[in-house]
Amino acid sequence: MKLQAHIKLLLRWCVLLGMGCQSVAAATPVIEIEIRDHLFFPSEVDVPANTKVKLLIINRDPTPEEFESYPLNREKVISGNSKAVIFIGPVKAGDYPFIGEFYPTTAQGVIRVR
Amino acid sequence: MKLKILNYTLSLMAILCTIQESYAGSVIDKIYHPYVNPLEQEVEWRGIFQDHQPLTPDNVQLHRFAYGRALSDRVFTEVYLVAHKASNHSLEIQAYELEFVWQLTEPGEFWADWGMLFEVEKEANLDKWEFTTGVLMEKERGQWSGTANLFLLNKWGSDSTDSFESRLSLQARYRYSRGFEPAVEFYSGQDTLGLGPACKGQIKLDGNKKFNWEAGLIFGLDSSSPNRTLRFLLDLEF
Repeated sequence: MKLQAHIKLLLRWCVLLGMGCQSVAAATPVIEIEIRDHLFFPSEVDVPANTKVKLLIINRDPTPEEFESYPLNREKVISGNSKAVIFIGPVKAGDYPFIGEFYPTTAQGVIRVR
Repeated sequence: MKLKILNYTLSLMAILCTIQESYAGSVIDKIYHPYVNPLEQEVEWRGIFQDHQPLTPDNVQLHRFAYGRALSDRVFTEVYLVAHKASNHSLEIQAYELEFVWQLTEPGEFWADWGMLFEVEKEANLDKWEFTTGVLMEKERGQWSGTANLFLLNKWGSDSTDSFESRLSLQARYRYSRGFEPAVEFYSGQDTLGLGPACKGQIKLDGNKKFNWEAGLIFGLDSSSPNRTLRFLLDLEF
């Protein structure tokens, strides 16, 4: 099969997935979460349902941490004393737990979508 | 800027589409996701077992052994040793590969997540080279993830016929649980048109270590395709 056919197939695949490329960063609400002493602050975050949200994770610890949430399909390593951005949603109402994978016994939190 | 790079790449591929393809290779392989995790390292073993590959000996095996690590927040590199085994032959080193995956967008930032892949391969003991450029796309819809890989391969060397080849692989995956995610995969490329079920999963180990596995059984959709291809992947992230 030639490249032209592959590109057509790819475009059909994109249409099937609901293609509509748009940047949402400018209008997206930003919520800050800090990591201090291997804990998340705040550890509970309220988010409106069906809304895309930008989490700004600020790691105040000198050690790296990995934000991970299987229900939200997100994982991201944040180096020590640095920041990272994680986009979540839009998702349905419910509780979506997350952990800091490097210190999972202490670094725990939940995104409450209402 | 990121979208311009993507548009440029797709335009370049469209221009090259008039060039004839003339090379056969392993089209069925891992499907790449456009994500890089900083500080991550991994060791990987993936392989295929192919039954009935026209024009080549039956029951072909291809194994890739790799070590990879993130170079930055957005770039992951992997070095491969590729081994091949045909019927009535022993496993032989076939090629060496160096690969880079470049994450272009943050997950969820745009309509879909985008990345690129660059790979150079040199066949062992032969002047036979291959350079691959690929566009990686993933779109999340609820618990479903749709992934596409579009690759353009350029081959050259005194032991090779200079040629271009394109490959497309698609995957629809249901995120049922961390340990088990069923999927359907489609592959299209030189002498291969295949479709079949696949699955993947992850087992968390001590600390930040994770064991990932994938398996798939791909059936040929036309007479020139391999009848059946079993693919697998095992990797340890740390």
